[in-house]
Amino acid sequence: MDCEKIRDRFSSLWEKELVPSEEKIIREHLSSCPRCQKELERFGKTMEWLCTVEDVEVPEGFLPELYKKIEERKMAFLAGKSRGRWFLFPLSFKLPAQAIAMAGIVFLVLYLTQMMPTEVSRQKGAEQTSSPLSEERKPEQLFAKKKTEDERGTLDITAETTRRKDIEHVQAPASGKKEIEDIRIAQTKEEAKKEELPVPKSEMMASQQIKSKEAARAGIQTPGPGEFEKELAAKEKPVLASKPSQEITLRIADREQAIFQLQELVKHFRGEMVTEEENRFIVSLPTISFSEFEKELGGLSASTQTDKVMAKKPSTFSVRASPGVKREEGGGRSKEPVKLTADQEGCTVVLILLTKE
Amino acid sequence: MKTSPKIQKEVIERCKAGDEKAFTEIVLRSQKKVFNIAYRMLGNLEEAKDLAQEVFISVFESVKDLKEEIKFDAWLTQITLNHCRNRWKYLKRRRYFNSDSLDDPIETGDGSMPRAIVDPSDNPEILYEKKSIQQFIQRGLLKLKEDQRELLVLRDLQGFSYEEMGELLCLPVGTIKSKLHRSRMDLKEILERSAQ
Repeated sequence: MDCEKIRDRFSSLWEKELVPSEEKIIREHLSSCPRCQKELERFGKTMEWLCTVEDVEVPEGFLPELYKKIEERKMAFLAGKSRGRWFLFPLSFKLPAQAIAMAGIVFLVLYLTQMMPTEVSRQKGAEQTSSPLSEERKPEQLFAKKKTEDERGTLDITAETTRRKDIEHVQAPASGKKEIEDIRIAQTKEEAKKEELPVPKSEMMASQQIKSKEAARAGIQTPGPGEFEKELAAKEKPVLASKPSQEITLRIADREQAIFQLQELVKHFRGEMVTEEENRFIVSLPTISFSEFEKELGGLSASTQTDKVMAKKPSTFSVRASPGVKREEGGGRSKEPVKLTADQEGCTVVLILLTKE
Repeated sequence: MKTSPKIQKEVIERCKAGDEKAFTEIVLRSQKKVFNIAYRMLGNLEEAKDLAQEVFISVFESVKDLKEEIKFDAWLTQITLNHCRNRWKYLKRRRYFNSDSLDDPIETGDGSMPRAIVDPSDNPEILYEKKSIQQFIQRGLLKLKEDQRELLVLRDLQGFSYEEMGELLCLPVGTIKSKLHRSRMDLKEILERSAQ
């Protein structure tokens, strides 16, 4: 038996697991081989040391610390459990809950998307008007108010004196929001009157002009969502009225007679004289009867000639050519049936200028 | 050869039922064995203490799943060895044994870490006498491979039988014996080299 095989038996020899015959062979080899003998000695020494290694005592406070750790783990587990409780619910509960939540989200999104387009466009409009009038421009607002009052004053002068009393409540000086509110009330009243009774035109127009400006300012100052809508509607009407869509120049010989005939014509076509100045008249007519009115106007008298100038929106206005009427048309839409922007309102605003031949 | 006192089946059953006193009894009876295996496997008292506590927390949490109460000791040792393997890997990753090199003296029970003074002229026997044998052995153990250290700790320090070791390590007794012998011979070589 060679040294290597003998050394492989050292553990078995040390633990006395070898059968006597095998042990005898190893002992014989060891007695004749000092190297293996030395190896066995070292091996035996290592084994002795290993067996003399004593147990280390457990540090003090081992058990209390252990219980403390267990408590901490329990708390952490409970916290984690409460956090992840949703995952512990059965699917039979989770699925309907998720479906309901999803449906809710869809409805909310639909509701918001339905609301948003109009709201956004209005808000944009409000921003356009309100942005220059930020808080920094409060002095400018005050100045603008003053200016409006001045304008009202000039309008008063131009309006007929007999109707001044009617619009005094509109012109009555007021300050701040109260003034605006008064104007709004007046506006609504006048609108109601307009529907029921023929209201003096100059008054209506003047008040509407004021209202439009005031409303615009009110809209700027208080751009509330509900009010804003009303103000926009209120704003549009006077703007249309203040900007005549048609301009007709009449060349007349006798001014008094022409004015009389004009008034008669307006009455005949159920129109309204909005403003009557010296040689400048603004007439509001039902859109349907406008073409007839134009014809009649053209044939007021032999000496009467009309100059008709298309308004700023030629595409939306077209008036039939009539004898003696000089027309300026925009685009190629002159032969289209009468369709005016004021259709929405049901009336056409015409500016009639009288010039002497 | 040291053996921890056997835990009675009744105590384990009470522990499974949630009896805290039974758990305390189990801890008191087996803490020394668990702590010493951990210490010999890791070579650090603090780590060993922490690991032993982790082992008992695992026991506390999973003792109800233990089917055969009679195999409680083997089960506990298995948990301890698994924890030791995981902790060893963790400490190795953290280069714990690099900062506290294996060549450095091993921390002793009283916390001091004396470096072994090696005089090549000295006789190995004299050297061994000079050194604290326990420190010397511990150093040698930590230089061994992990599975070799396990075998030596279980057999030569904790006195497990080959059969028990075979069950724990899922190896045949013959393999255990040969591996154990190889581990002993390697330790001898390590100690001799350390002494030179």
